[in-house]
Amino acid sequence: MTKIFYDHLVVREEVTVELDKYSLAREEKEELIQLVDETLHHQILNTILTHLPKEKHREFLEKFHKAPHDESLLEYIKDFEEEIIKTAKKIKSDLLSEIKTSSRGH
Amino acid sequence: MGKQLNSESLRNRLKLRSFASEQKLLSSHVAAAQFFKEKQLRPGKIREHATRLLTSGILAGSLFLSAPTLLPSPSATPTERAVSLALPLQLNQQIKSALKFVLPEQIQPLNSDQETKISQILEQIYGLKAVASLENNKLNTDYGRMGAEQHLPRYPGDTAEAHGELIEKGITPGLGGWGYVADVETEKYYVAVQTLYLPDWKQRTQYYVDWYKFRRVVVVNPANGKVMVAAVADAGPADWTGKHFGGSPEVMAYLGINYGMQNHPVVLFFLDDPEKKIPLGPIEYNVKTGNPVLINKA
Repeated sequence: MTKIFYDHLVVREEVTVELDKYSLAREEKEELIQLVDETLHHQILNTILTHLPKEKHREFLEKFHKAPHDESLLEYIKDFEEEIIKTAKKIKSDLLSEIKTSSRGH
Repeated sequence: MGKQLNSESLRNRLKLRSFASEQKLLSSHVAAAQFFKEKQLRPGKIREHATRLLTSGILAGSLFLSAPTLLPSPSATPTERAVSLALPLQLNQQIKSALKFVLPEQIQPLNSDQETKISQILEQIYGLKAVASLENNKLNTDYGRMGAEQHLPRYPGDTAEAHGELIEKGITPGLGGWGYVADVETEKYYVAVQTLYLPDWKQRTQYYVDWYKFRRVVVVNPANGKVMVAAVADAGPADWTGKHFGGSPEVMAYLGINYGMQNHPVVLFFLDDPEKKIPLGPIEYNVKTGNPVLINKA
């Protein structure tokens, strides 16, 4: 999986483990994981941009676009990593609820 | 395993969530919305963008992939096994995304630049040394349509039933291009290639017969990113079929191309593995490191 610099803050495995309990075709599972990943990216970026001073936004986004994996980007989020972790946990919890809601007989 | 999920309902709900979260991001940060518009990139697709950077060589020499996870041991917990099982899907996705930016629109023989990039992608992600040309040998195409073949006889009197799997696909009435395919794995994961259309086939028949006999190849389905190692065990299909390769029932099934007209595009390269360390069959982890993902820090 191509790494994004904030991946270590986002424990997405619980969601994939939950999906793995169901009889899903590989393509179906792949699509669902893709949608989970997109939602996480939106929310994480929202959190970053909310807490990062506005004057830093352009600089951060340019570097992020050029090298999404670059660990030096962590410098931009070091003061609010906990917020990102909290956001990721909340999204993960919501997504797990969605999966459980969609299981038949629930 | 085997619990039921209303995947259609879940997919719709997740799509709504993804859309809503994207709208929230873009409406809350107008300058960022403008930035992503300039770059023609949707923020949720950042991982695909990172993969594109990888294939374009911008990240060459400084690949950063996720931390390795060991293949599950017999004593692995269900969670560990499930995590490792999830990762091949992500590798498939990575291959699929990467090939999208390399393959031509038309199904046709690849140019050398495309071949080089695909070789690099397969080596970086799966540790496979797969090449379009090996020992100065090259097929008439390396990106073409693969059609369905039947089981091949492994010994006199062999039957489809004796093959155990995909019996309904039947068995060829005659032998494959190289006779009986005695090895079970070779027959299971065989492909047919158009050796008969090599430009100097008639002049160098014996050389090609020997060289291509059970020659191991890497087959990739670009539609889903699935990769496998197969062995050449038959010649064909004929030109008039419009197909360029044939796949055994197991090859077609694993690659997910055993539906419809069964003439789906695949990439087929030679496997450069002189010591035959890599087994035939599906490839779902990095064969060099034994891990589902590769780390290669600059």
